[in-house]
Amino acid sequence: MKLTVNGIGHEVESHGLQSLLYVLREELGITSPKAGCVQGGCGACTVLVDGEPRRSCLTPLAALNGAAITTLEGLGTPESLSVVQAAFHEQYGSQCGFCTPGMIVATTALLERTKKPTRHDIEQALAGHYCRCTGYVKIVASVEAAAGGAKK
Amino acid sequence: MKAVGARLPRYDGVAHVTGKSVFVDDVRIPGTLCVKALRSPLHHAGIVSLDTSKAEKMPGVHAVVTHKDVPLNVYGHLSALGIPADEPLLAEDDVRWLGQPIAAVAAEDEDTALAAVEAIKLDLEERPAVFDMRIAGDPDAPQIHHWGNWYPHFEAEMDVRQIRKGDIDAAFDAADVIVSGVYRPAAIEQAPLETQTGLAVPEADGRITVYSCTQALYFSMGVVAAHLQVPLNRLKFVGGTVGGGFGGKVDTAAEAICALLALKGGRPCKWRWTREEEFLCSSTRAAWHIEIADAVTKDGWILGRKTLTLHDAGAYARFSPYGVTKHSFHHTGAYSIPNLHFDGYVVFTNRSPTSAMRGYGVTSVSFATEVHMSRIAKELGIDPFEIRLKNANRIADTSPNGIAYTDPSTVPTIQAIAEAIGHELPAEYRAMTPDPREGDLLPEHLAAQVGEVDH
Amino acid sequence: MVLADVTLVVPTSVDEALAEFGDGKGVTVVAGGTVVMADLAAGRLRPKKALLLSRAGLDGITRKGGKVTIGAMTPVAALEDGDEPLATAARHLGDVEIRAQATVGGNICSEASAEAPRGDLQAALIVLGATVRSGGKGGERTEPLEDFLAKGAGRLVLDVSYDDAPRQTGYAAAWRPHAHHYTILAVAAARQNGDLRVAATGLGPHAVRLTSVEEGGDAAVEARDDALASAWYRQHLLPRLVGRALADLEEA
Repeated sequence: MKLTVNGIGHEVESHGLQSLLYVLREELGITSPKAGCVQGGCGACTVLVDGEPRRSCLTPLAALNGAAITTLEGLGTPESLSVVQAAFHEQYGSQCGFCTPGMIVATTALLERTKKPTRHDIEQALAGHYCRCTGYVKIVASVEAAAGGAKK
Repeated sequence: MKAVGARLPRYDGVAHVTGKSVFVDDVRIPGTLCVKALRSPLHHAGIVSLDTSKAEKMPGVHAVVTHKDVPLNVYGHLSALGIPADEPLLAEDDVRWLGQPIAAVAAEDEDTALAAVEAIKLDLEERPAVFDMRIAGDPDAPQIHHWGNWYPHFEAEMDVRQIRKGDIDAAFDAADVIVSGVYRPAAIEQAPLETQTGLAVPEADGRITVYSCTQALYFSMGVVAAHLQVPLNRLKFVGGTVGGGFGGKVDTAAEAICALLALKGGRPCKWRWTREEEFLCSSTRAAWHIEIADAVTKDGWILGRKTLTLHDAGAYARFSPYGVTKHSFHHTGAYSIPNLHFDGYVVFTNRSPTSAMRGYGVTSVSFATEVHMSRIAKELGIDPFEIRLKNANRIADTSPNGIAYTDPSTVPTIQAIAEAIGHELPAEYRAMTPDPREGDLLPEHLAAQVGEVDH
Repeated sequence: MVLADVTLVVPTSVDEALAEFGDGKGVTVVAGGTVVMADLAAGRLRPKKALLLSRAGLDGITRKGGKVTIGAMTPVAALEDGDEPLATAARHLGDVEIRAQATVGGNICSEASAEAPRGDLQAALIVLGATVRSGGKGGERTEPLEDFLAKGAGRLVLDVSYDDAPRQTGYAAAWRPHAHHYTILAVAAARQNGDLRVAATGLGPHAVRLTSVEEGGDAAVEARDDALASAWYRQHLLPRLVGRALADLEEA
């Protein structure tokens, strides 16, 4: 089956019922989406499927049908951070870093559809994402900073 | 001093926000096998028989380990301090908590590993289990630990952590009121987002590289070296990128078993705990039972405190004696109580063994103390801020274990809280400072506990 | 579960889906995947034949002939701005990512267990007087949702329908205080043409109609313990939520 991840086409061999999380991590070696619970509860596995945030651990490969997948690696690099990545770094929105990929992916999707999100919008967009380290304050600050600094 | 007060970027910040941080499960070593464990399905049972032969012969299974494969199976977290060990790496004669590891397999993939675990024949003889630490001392309580139902190896082979300070009987005689309370903080699971994960790689030069999510790299190295009975220089530990621990990754949970399997099977072995394993089988913060009785005067002085603490260690001791000891040193919270009678027990139950979580041993008694202070205030009809400020520890006051406070911030903290919520304090209380007690703030009963501050 | 042994079928039409489903024996239906994929990962499900509905053409909401018809594969998110009390129930299901992937059909077919609360849309659909059109053994049939739920599993849900008519509605729920919702107990109420319907979700494996409340009495259903809350707590809460749902309806 063909799968496009971060702009690169791959021919994947995994079974159609295999999760996108497994395909990304184990077959393609793309490890930013994390296996936090593998039950869809924590949000550490979230990636963009055609620009929409989805739990990769709950997404069967066969349901993807030519979709374009974007992971954290596809949003920016150390040499060229995206606005959201830079905001999370500058605002200390990341402590252990395990929830960070899901948080940044969900935030990126939020800011694509809502340029000036309210506090409520931010809470709704990140509602499915657990962070056990930060207490969320700096994460919300990172999202607000990214929204404020959007250069479009 | 360029760092203090400066706003420094996290050195791992860029890696975190670009997905480049390498957690243990992100490490890719060709040929890595998947590890799964056979865990006890019962809370308490004798192991009648264990037969791994079918699992060993399964295609795709490279190694199966039981207690027989562990050179030193019983090694304690505090063994390095000379404290006796009680917990086997892999169960030998009995199982004492639901989820206790009995055997482990390393196979080509997860499905094969799970099938191999299912193929292990385990025969158990169920025994009565204890979940409530309060019954441990009952004459008809089942015995669940070979040391008895509570830990007997404090110094001088005492079975209780004791603090005796001043004259508790005189304090209780002199009291106007005795205020009692029972506080029972529950067990808490640290629930880090990254589950316990270990990866052990047998190297060509005979060493073993262990990728670990532990919070205590050198400590874990020592534990693995001890279980394997190899010198430390045979191990190379790689770690420091931890997806949350909060005390839950202080115990060496996966590394030793992965190392054993790696040696036996000759292949790298990775064990990533499921979220269910993390909840059920990883160590938790302990449940506590704390009974406090304070001898109190009408005008709000706390003359003395009697405390009975039970700490639920779960099935094995781990760091619990240390936790109860810390608890005892801080059992008066932020306040100076001169006459003390403290007894603390490390009680065994058939729950998963408990360990550290932020503020190990201390948060429980801080909570109990604060609620108790409010209870005293209510019973005496005294303002809860005033009673705290009066008894708050000050420079040269001594802690329960006799250490003189050098810089306690209790007084200014309580004053700041009062101001922040708009609670008016009388002038006398607004004027208080952390300075050593004198005058009205140094009644006779507090004089004896004043110590020497080291400068 | 060895995935290699699982036969996966991805039908591209409703007829094909029905044909592949047959009488349902040995078939695991995968809709959005939010329930099945979690069960697969945890080893709670070991399917032989899996029927993935993502391309079967079962999604979409139509208003025709005085009826609102919601296809089984319609994502829960598509209901958020629709008819009450369904919209409120939908808005409080999981989080935005789950709502985009979870389906109405999946929600109807999910059984709440001691570990997992499920079926949040069911009470709202019951009070809307929803009927379920399903395929399977004996062919296609349409029946009231509460009857469908009582019969248990084994059917392929095609769509649900209810009257496209004015109503007074009410909804009262106790959610776990958390951004990521878990419904402990919810009561839905609707009055259409003078007929009152009341139903509750969170009392058992699926939502139930509270006929005794409709007749002016107290709720006569027993709650049960689960990972979220005790039976005692739910029993305690139920009359209060019934009261609030009915008051909500009167104010509407």
